Amino acid sequence: MTAAIEINDFSYSYADGTSALKDISISIKAGQKVVLIGPNGAGKSTLLLGIAGFIKGSGKIYIDGIEVNKKNNKQIRSLIGCCVESPDDQLFMPTIYEDVAFGPLNFRLSRDEVKARTKQALETVGLWSLADKPPQHLSAGQKRAASIATILSMKPRIITLDEPNSSLDPSSRDKILELIVKLPQTVIVATCDMNFAAEFAQYAVLINNGTKIAEGNYVQIMSDEKLMTSHGLEVPWKYRNSKDV
Amino acid sequence: MHHSHIDKFAYQDSPAHRLDARIKFLAMVLFTALVISLPPHSIVIISLYAIGPFSILVIGKIPLRFVFKHIIAISPFIIVLALSCPFYDRAVISVSFGPLSWQITQGWLRCFNILAKFSVTMMCIIGLVSTTRFTDLLAGLGKLGMPRIIIAQLGLLYRYIFVVIDKAQHMLVSRKARSLHYLGFRNEIKTASAMIGSLFIRSINTAENISISMQGRGFEQKWRSLSQNHIGKSEYFFIAITFIYVLVLEIFAKQLFV
Amino acid sequence: MHMQNELLSVPAAGATLTIAAGALAFITRRAKKVINADKLALMGILGAFVFAAQMVNFRLPAMPGTSGHLIGSVLLAVVLGPTLGAIVITSVIIIQCLIFQDGGLLALGCNIINMGLIPCYVGYYIFKTVKGQSWQSVRTYIAVITACIVSLEIGASLVPVQAALSGVLLVPMSTFLITMLGVHAIVGIIEGVVTAGVLGYLLRIRPDIVSDKLEGKYVLSKRAVIASLLIVTVITSMGFSLLASGMPDGLEWSYAERPDQSEFEPIIANKNSTIAQVDTFHERYSIMPDYTKRSSELGKTLSDETEAAASWTSLAGMAGAFITMAFVWVLAQIIRKRSASKPNPDITAA
Repeated sequence: MTAAIEINDFSYSYADGTSALKDISISIKAGQKVVLIGPNGAGKSTLLLGIAGFIKGSGKIYIDGIEVNKKNNKQIRSLIGCCVESPDDQLFMPTIYEDVAFGPLNFRLSRDEVKARTKQALETVGLWSLADKPPQHLSAGQKRAASIATILSMKPRIITLDEPNSSLDPSSRDKILELIVKLPQTVIVATCDMNFAAEFAQYAVLINNGTKIAEGNYVQIMSDEKLMTSHGLEVPWKYRNSKDV
Repeated sequence: MHHSHIDKFAYQDSPAHRLDARIKFLAMVLFTALVISLPPHSIVIISLYAIGPFSILVIGKIPLRFVFKHIIAISPFIIVLALSCPFYDRAVISVSFGPLSWQITQGWLRCFNILAKFSVTMMCIIGLVSTTRFTDLLAGLGKLGMPRIIIAQLGLLYRYIFVVIDKAQHMLVSRKARSLHYLGFRNEIKTASAMIGSLFIRSINTAENISISMQGRGFEQKWRSLSQNHIGKSEYFFIAITFIYVLVLEIFAKQLFV
Repeated sequence: MHMQNELLSVPAAGATLTIAAGALAFITRRAKKVINADKLALMGILGAFVFAAQMVNFRLPAMPGTSGHLIGSVLLAVVLGPTLGAIVITSVIIIQCLIFQDGGLLALGCNIINMGLIPCYVGYYIFKTVKGQSWQSVRTYIAVITACIVSLEIGASLVPVQAALSGVLLVPMSTFLITMLGVHAIVGIIEGVVTAGVLGYLLRIRPDIVSDKLEGKYVLSKRAVIASLLIVTVITSMGFSLLASGMPDGLEWSYAERPDQSEFEPIIANKNSTIAQVDTFHERYSIMPDYTKRSSELGKTLSDETEAAASWTSLAGMAGAFITMAFVWVLAQIIRKRSASKPNPDITAA
């Protein structure tokens, strides 16, 4: 079950008036693996918050045709699951089992359904054996996987991940990669790690300084050296010509 | 920090750990009440009462040295209270214990009484906290009637205390690594504030992001949680043993001993 | 100001626990209406903040040999409103009791009342009364300091009352009361000054955060505010911990001998009628075969044989207790060694 996202002229400014996002228009097909790329401070996290309806800007955002606004909040919550950048903010319950169960419980599912979903989500990320651990006892990679599990248990159609591979060692990063690849949902990953992005992306959206620079097939965008370097990024290894190495 | 030790032990496995948190909590409250209600001159019977929590600690594989170290660490306050007794009660009595007999003031008896009570009640609570995962304890308290908001608050507080403490420890290391001389009190405060500024930037989003995470997972107003506690054979066994033990102590032992 | 179990009797503990529980039940019902994700997250973080601040002892300037610590109730009440503030401070007190054993379990009711409910509610209403229209004036700070002093004094004065009602303490209530009030006057001033400092910072950075209609209007996008609270937390934790002293808490100081004044004469005769009555009560209803009272009007003297026999009983009793404990320990070791040599059939994770 996937969903499509339609963003039309979305703009957002901070409380003090600074513009964070300006007239962003993006069209994402259902089931795509999308990377939201840009340098630090480009507005990627802010855009993710906007898509999920946590910040109120101007313009319209539609998820599967449903407008993202306060009135549709409940529906939007069940369609889209967000992972904030820091697992310490995502995992706020005393154990990860409770964190993963938190979503389904709030959806008022039956106890059995909640337990089943929690188990399934934890098994998908490979953390079922650590279910009763408190977050502070887990490694960074495990915490990241647990964060994703907290979203999976809600069975959303869209998943957004904010810099999911930051501070991860290579093996943890590979595990997260594996996970992202096998997720059936529409996935939007905000990242500035081009090599990581190249491993799973199908569609890329490049933003910088709060505006959308480019959008389209990821190979086209990420192998454009001029485009990448002028926006503080780089061409992933696998698309570099031997001459440039 | 002490708490990290207790946290560690709570994740072990033993028959004591597997007991339902509610039962352990109620047993502890009952025991504490019974011990505190003992007369101010009783000492021998307190040692008999000590068997209960001691057994729980042993069964729970909690290192005894750690327990006693911890009790000593938290006792300064009660030591002062205990030592105030000999000052206020100078009535002299003679005490015999086995083959020995000597004179002592009532105040000293009270002093030892208070210390003994303190030790036993602390053993009880340490026994509870080190054999029960905090989250199970919270769930148990919730089932015993504690309001949901307080359960939620306790859970969040517990979860983030460690984060705050960890961050503070990191900062202390960072400061130590860059300090050579003591540059005066004012400078100390200045340095601390500067370091805290960077910690500040990191922590600045915490509460807001937690709120976003909570809302993102459908939280509106009601705090819900899954309870994992259940009452089974081992719980009934524990209740029975405790009941008999307490009965024996209250009725028979009180007649025989002091 | 944390009370321990040994200061109370079970009936007094029961009564205070009931009062505290009743008050909390009422408060939480009211709070339910205004709680949302923002508030809950903020309450959690502020709980950790208060905790860290409370862990710092600082030496009291006027009274050598003692130290106080920030309680934080009034600050929470001013920022969150008395209802939510009381919930946060209650959670801090509970955690202190359970995890850190700071304060006894039976004394939880007293501690919640003395350090939580009273300072939050009394402090809040004093603050609102003394404070003028504008938030930015000196009057606000005076209001904070007054609120802290008065509410802490009331809370502190309840300790001797609760202890006297229990009849366990030998110290005469009047002495206890006067000393508690005296010590906590200083603590109150310091609490007031620190609270006012934090509040001043809040007002400078985000004046809208502390509004008059606190309950139901509080909005959490005040990053700087929360952040600055964390800053103050860590400043107090780290900067002041340089001053941290291992001196006894104000509470202990009041009824123990003052370490720096060697000429202090403790009161010997116990003139408090309540305590004498309780003593007599204990005398009559507990059997103390071991003790022979030679110079007290309470109790009875026993014959020599009964005395001798009885003393062996106590030895037997205590020896029995320790032998049983040793037995339990040895048994546990044996069982553990046995099961360690057997292969473990299933290891369940959850």
